[in-house]
Amino acid sequence: MKRRDFLKKGTRAAVAAGVIPMVTASCTGAKDMVYDREGDKWYNLGTGKTGIPSRKKTVSYDTAVIGGGAAGICAAVAAARNGSNTVLIQDRPVLGGNASSEMRVHLNGVNNIKGKAERETGIIEELLLHNRFENEQESFPVFDHVMYDFVIREPNLTLMLNTQGIEAIMDGDKIKSALCWQGTTETLYTINAEIFIDCSGDGLLAATAGAEYRTGREGKDEYNETFAPDQPDGWQMGATLLMSSKDMGKSMKYNPPSYAIKYTHEGANKRRKFAGFQDGIWWIEVGSKDDIITDFEVNRHKLMGYLHGVWDYIKNSGNFPEAENLALDWVGSLPCRRESRRFIGDYFMSEKDMTEHRHFEDAVAFGGWSLDEHNPGGIENLPEPPSYFHYHFKNIYEFPFRSLYSKNITNLMFAGRNVSQTHIALSSSRIMATCALQGQAVGTAASICNKKQITPREVKNKHINELQEQLLRDDVFIPNRNAKDPKDLARKANLIFGSSTKSGDAKNLTNGISRDFNNEINHWQSEGLNSNVQLEWDTPINLSAVEIKCDTNVKRNIMMRKDSRNNDLYGNHVPKELLKSLSIQGRVKGQWVELGAIEENRTRLIKFKFDETLVSAVKINLKETYGADDIKLFEVRCYA
Amino acid sequence: MKLFLHIISLFFLAGFTSAKKNTYTEVKHTVIINHPGEKHPLEITLTEVQDINGLPIQYHTNVESVICLEEVCKIIPVKIYWNAIGDFQKYELKPGATLEKYEADLFEKEDYTKLQSILGNKKSPFKEVRIDEVLTIPDEHGDEDIDGVSGATALELNDEDTVQGAALTCYTLWHWANGDLIQKIQEQTGKSSNTKQLENYTTKEDKRYFEIAIREFTQRKLFNKTQIEVVISKIQEDHTVSRTAFKYLEKAPIETCMDACEKIFLIDQKEQTIAAIQFMLKTNLKFPVSLYNHLSDEIDKLHSYQEVSLFLDLMEIKNANSKHVINNIFPLLENNFLIARRAFWFLSNQNIDKNQKTILDSFKEKNKERL
Repeated sequence: MKRRDFLKKGTRAAVAAGVIPMVTASCTGAKDMVYDREGDKWYNLGTGKTGIPSRKKTVSYDTAVIGGGAAGICAAVAAARNGSNTVLIQDRPVLGGNASSEMRVHLNGVNNIKGKAERETGIIEELLLHNRFENEQESFPVFDHVMYDFVIREPNLTLMLNTQGIEAIMDGDKIKSALCWQGTTETLYTINAEIFIDCSGDGLLAATAGAEYRTGREGKDEYNETFAPDQPDGWQMGATLLMSSKDMGKSMKYNPPSYAIKYTHEGANKRRKFAGFQDGIWWIEVGSKDDIITDFEVNRHKLMGYLHGVWDYIKNSGNFPEAENLALDWVGSLPCRRESRRFIGDYFMSEKDMTEHRHFEDAVAFGGWSLDEHNPGGIENLPEPPSYFHYHFKNIYEFPFRSLYSKNITNLMFAGRNVSQTHIALSSSRIMATCALQGQAVGTAASICNKKQITPREVKNKHINELQEQLLRDDVFIPNRNAKDPKDLARKANLIFGSSTKSGDAKNLTNGISRDFNNEINHWQSEGLNSNVQLEWDTPINLSAVEIKCDTNVKRNIMMRKDSRNNDLYGNHVPKELLKSLSIQGRVKGQWVELGAIEENRTRLIKFKFDETLVSAVKINLKETYGADDIKLFEVRCYA
Repeated sequence: MKLFLHIISLFFLAGFTSAKKNTYTEVKHTVIINHPGEKHPLEITLTEVQDINGLPIQYHTNVESVICLEEVCKIIPVKIYWNAIGDFQKYELKPGATLEKYEADLFEKEDYTKLQSILGNKKSPFKEVRIDEVLTIPDEHGDEDIDGVSGATALELNDEDTVQGAALTCYTLWHWANGDLIQKIQEQTGKSSNTKQLENYTTKEDKRYFEIAIREFTQRKLFNKTQIEVVISKIQEDHTVSRTAFKYLEKAPIETCMDACEKIFLIDQKEQTIAAIQFMLKTNLKFPVSLYNHLSDEIDKLHSYQEVSLFLDLMEIKNANSKHVINNIFPLLENNFLIARRAFWFLSNQNIDKNQKTILDSFKEKNKERL
């Protein structure tokens, strides 16, 4: 049908549709309906009179990010904010990956180092804080929309949901395009980009590009890994299927479905515990020693069977009287994956890099979750503990940029569980907030690649300092790498002082370390609210931006949890330390002039932008927090 | 005579021995306490031990060794001791009593020593864990994995942080030794101490004594010369108490408060001077301008830019256009440049005479690139 004909017929149909309800509003039957069967496209499609519409589109971006979990979100937002026209392609209807309402894993990070968190900052923290403001009820489906909001509000970023990157189109050793199938619109997209970032976990696009990868477990000799098996094998940690229940206030029966697999707990390792079972059991897990992707649907079915089998055991064995009034409220249908492909980069991260805290000149991220290797077989290997928890870190480890780009595909980077690392290293770094830091690193690197028309490897070789400085400016913490941005005019101030000092020193605000770390104080804390920090230059300077890093208590976790835990280690609300209202003034010819004010701040990194102004001093007036009695800052930067 | 003295002496000695027993007085207090392992507040008896002068020197109470939700574990009474400001000192069991671990194992000798150390550690991991986490972890190690779910625990205890197999006992006793009772003890020490004793508290190195004293001074409205002097003396020694101290001083009669402000302003240390200026900036008390004029006589004793700038802020707000102050500020134009520039901006907004304006204009011309 020609477009004009279609429009004409379409118009006629619309008029008819508009008229009919008026005629038939009260007492009409099917025979009264006007129905042009010959013009019904669905009818014609069903009877084979017309074919499936051919929908193919080609679009171009600077950077394409595949996978919309924590790593992909952070990669895409970082790239977009740093100037790259970016597309984020997600194969599910919601963002968040394992943390989405489809799977509901807690967005953990460095939750506990010697009793305190060493929380990730930067984009992932901003997202988690956004959730604390918008999702006080701690709903996972609402969290989906919080993440959606977080992404689509970025002006330089396009989001494509229900779209899967299925094949790379190559130009030598470079990915030219990604073929992506958007199921909801039956559209095949050809997405051209200069840089591709695969944060999809399984890494289908990267695999079709021919990027080298591994699966399974390395033998202990290859990387001198204490916790690796003697001989290499194919085992990969399994996927888990979660559920949650609620107390109905009365006795609730439970009958397992036909596909439930009977569970008795006989011979189970004592570490298979039921604590918190009402919110799901992480060891309902099935892995694979072969091709875990091929096995996925078989394993999903098994997991659904095991989930109901275990719940049947809880409800009907008589061993859990506390479950009497509980009923399943939500059951997952999409298992939460831990491991499959691990792509090879210029560096292959391994156990000793982590446990010996190797320093990397190209460090861009950090981790600190334990070496938490789940057993081969998962729930099908009951006598083994569900995880070995080989090693608990006493300090965080560094993660190098060289592990985040492909060894053999020149414009391909990774973030998440598919990065360049051994199986044992993965057992720690797979945690979502760690993946998110990797995401912000590669997204930022992509923007450098785009600006300079270079490869990720060239970023490593020639511009690693620029990458690290940008990450630090954007509030990423890189252990043992202090910021020293030459463009930061705060570092050139002749004086910096606080109106009062309860702890720390205002001079710390320009020392390049934006958190207290390893028992060293890097903050300035006021005595009470309504305080200020002032910077003085002996010769006036042109300023157009002031950036502040305030306190959110990175030693306490803020991610949403099903149990809404609220203690010294986990908070279930906006951190009270967060700065709520503040303003800045510049001294222009001896007079203080207002340069900006924020009444409801929501972020750790607070940015003021204003028309370029010649000032001899800047005063940051700190008014109020979300509950803390004093105000703590970690950094002040000033830019022309 | 000699014999008589001896008898007296023996009598005295006997009397002393007897008196020594009675030197210490025990006072019992009923307090309501929240223990994080208990669902409801508990009423307990806290015993205060006072010396012969009525000075609180120790507290103790009897608690149960373990919160036993399933009523299958053995509960042993434990007596816990604190000093006068609530620092845990020791625990005691009744003779013959023993503490138990899981599955009826008994504490070994070294376990008792370790428990003493755990209870004395104010930063123990037990501060941050919930009782249900403790209950589900008989072996204490592992189970950091909560990526899969919510329920598994993040509890990770090092060997030195717990008695293996008795985490629940450690948890229970730690929260008794380091919980809400500390605040009650400190409040009680304040209430039980007389004025002289409170004054002595301000000289102690531990700041918690000062806080107890200042709270009681305020409540009892104690503002005589001695109390004000000990407070100022403490500020001189440790500027971090300034905020607490000024809250107290603000409640004193205005002349007393003014006098204290001046003395603190003149302490030759930046933090104390700044604290005094900030107090004067923020307080609603109406001090006479003579105070500010007088303080400006000391401007050359202010060493840092911050002190000078803050003082000039104070003058701009509370004592603008004072000729006395203006005259005192002009010499600052010869100071280091940042201070001189600050003085310049201050003077530019004051009512100055012709000669002074000439000086200012000259400064402006000389430094026009830096203003």
